[in-house]
Amino acid sequence: MAVRIGMMSFAHMHAYSYAHCVKQLEAEGRAQLVGVADDDPQRGQQVAQQYGTRFYESYEALLDAGIDAVIVCPENVKHRPLTEMAAKAGKHVLCEKPLATSKADGRAMIEVCKANGVQLMTAFPCRFSPSYIRLKQMVEAGELGEVLAIRGTNRGRNPGGWFIVPELSGGGAVIDHTVHVTDLCRDLLHSEVVEVYAEIGNGFCHSDFDDTGMLTLTFANDVFATLDSSWSRPKVFPTWGDVTLQVVGTKGLVYMDMFAQNSTLYDDRNMRITLEHWGSSIDYGLVSAFVESVASGKPVPITGEDGLAAAEVAFAAYESAKRGEPVQLPLPE
Amino acid sequence: MLRVGIVGVGTMGRTHASAYIKLPNTQLIGFYDAVTEAAQRVASQFGVQAFPTYEAMLEQVDMVDICTPTPTHLDLVLKAAGAGKHILCEKPLGRTLQQCEQMIEAASNAGVTLMPAQVLRFFPEFKQAHDLVLAGAVGKPAAIRTRRGGPYPRAANDWYADFEQSGGPILDMVIHDFDWLRWTFGEVERVFAKALTFKKLDHIDYALITLRLKSGAIAHVEANWADPSGFKVDFEIAGDAGMIAFDSRFAMPLTVAKQESGGGGGGVAVPESPLAEDPYMLEIKHFVDSVEAGQQPSITAVDGMKAVEIALAAIESARTGKVIRLGGGA
Ligand SMILES: NC(=O)c1ccc[n+]([C@@H]2O[C@H](COP(=O)([O-])OP(=O)(O)OC[C@H]3O[C@@H](n4cnc5c(N)ncnc54)[C@H](O)[C@@H]3O)[C@@H](O)[C@H]2O)c1
Repeated sequence: MAVRIGMMSFAHMHAYSYAHCVKQLEAEGRAQLVGVADDDPQRGQQVAQQYGTRFYESYEALLDAGIDAVIVCPENVKHRPLTEMAAKAGKHVLCEKPLATSKADGRAMIEVCKANGVQLMTAFPCRFSPSYIRLKQMVEAGELGEVLAIRGTNRGRNPGGWFIVPELSGGGAVIDHTVHVTDLCRDLLHSEVVEVYAEIGNGFCHSDFDDTGMLTLTFANDVFATLDSSWSRPKVFPTWGDVTLQVVGTKGLVYMDMFAQNSTLYDDRNMRITLEHWGSSIDYGLVSAFVESVASGKPVPITGEDGLAAAEVAFAAYESAKRGEPVQLPLPE
Repeated sequence: MLRVGIVGVGTMGRTHASAYIKLPNTQLIGFYDAVTEAAQRVASQFGVQAFPTYEAMLEQVDMVDICTPTPTHLDLVLKAAGAGKHILCEKPLGRTLQQCEQMIEAASNAGVTLMPAQVLRFFPEFKQAHDLVLAGAVGKPAAIRTRRGGPYPRAANDWYADFEQSGGPILDMVIHDFDWLRWTFGEVERVFAKALTFKKLDHIDYALITLRLKSGAIAHVEANWADPSGFKVDFEIAGDAGMIAFDSRFAMPLTVAKQESGGGGGGVAVPESPLAEDPYMLEIKHFVDSVEAGQQPSITAVDGMKAVEIALAAIESARTGKVIRLGGGA
């Protein structure tokens, strides 16, 4: 039976890709995009038209439309109120990352879903990257021996809009780009981050939000990692950014450049050189897994706890930069 | 004509010798090495003398080039300065800051030139990036990344594996990057580092170092002695008006594939690419020309010491888990 899905807000651009994935699943008979609702009615109407679905005037109306689950993609600070609404209406939730902008918000989201017997999944699509899955297989098969250290990057460009309004985003580059690689490390190591050190700056945009982040994470199992979460890609950079992971083990080293499956387009008419990605869609894997869990009642593969643990590393990074020293995790509730 | 004696006939001693024999204004007189037979073997390859003692060599030369393991630099520099000889000394200048200070003082008292061989400044990709940054090509630099390394280095008596001698990859190898960062972006404010160094693993070492510069820029340095696939270098300088990126993997004009590849191993990995002017040659030429002209080389002994200071701060951070602030501040 097709899982009936509603989408709450398209403030985060990933929502468009998720909607596309739901439509794909619709074609496979596994899901149905019942409708969308948005704070911005104009955007909502336009999106509804684009995806051939219904626009609902309010989130309440969407939640009343006989749906099973929602995909929540508003500005970061609204993850909590929308998740709470959906959970109280008995809908399963796939929430965009970062799960929350404070530990209290994240905890409340987890609790309200539990209390209402719905599942909460965090949108970490990198887990569905075939390259990452292969890397994880190698690590789990012991091909690298014991993992000792990881070097990660998730660099991008300043996305602008609400992303650079800390009251809406909870920060800047660090809150935006810390969670994906942190989640991959946690998933790979089966170990929690116990310490974070961060150098944070605003040397690209010289404004009141951070655009540069160099984090050092230490895990409970003594593995250390660094993570570059900067919006350091120039405007003329041929692609949006990257997710890379270099894992060093006692028996060898593996390097992953997750989005390296590109061809180069030299475009005279637009005077641009771009990397045209032909690798597998990781968003499809994410939305498909969510739909599968909702349909079968099986636990979601990436929980609210996973989302909060990764977000907590970003919170700790801000705290570390403020104090000028490493910060121990878990942070106080 | 400068008469040159080289101490240490390992990887670097032989590399440097090849430069001296090509320069018009130097004459390679000979070698001294603690292992006499090694000195004799290499001396005969170059058709020069092998000296039985360091003192004997000092009597015959105007300058020495010190290419021995790091902790031996101090004694060799002090003796050369005492004998009034100019000194080109391999990096890291000393194993400790105190050793560096002693060398600087001795050279200054003797009125001889002491230059640390921070050869990266003569590598065209690093020199070009330095020049581009100073010309404002990327605007104000904000985030800088460097990566250096490959297989674990092997040398005489496996001395690189002895942390007390080599200081591991942080002091021995990425001191190159620290010097280049200081030269290009200015002084370092504080350092935080994590390393495998103190785990005492069998021929694996690796470190990730974050530096905050006085300019406000943030730098990340990777020191890798854990990559069996070969020596690699890359850097990326991102500024508020652009970015410069270099990756040695993609800057190879020549690729050869033989049906049966021979075994690797041997000396420490040295970056190599076919160039009309070898960086080691350029470095040595600069030193020799400066000495002849009675001028201070562009790389001072204090530069060498400052690079050691950054490296030691990174090691200290990795050892203690603390942020190390440079220049005395708490
Ligand atoms: N600039 C570069 O790219 C680069 C590369 C490699 C090494 N280095 C530096 O060069 C120096 C030498 O390194 P290497 O790889 O050539 O080492 P190596 O082990 O290959 O050679 C060192 C030589 O010094 C001799 N020696 C040791 N102690 C001595 C002493 N007290 N007096 C005389 N001879 C002595 C040894 O017998 C050996 O022949 C080190 O400081 C190293 O950090 C620089």
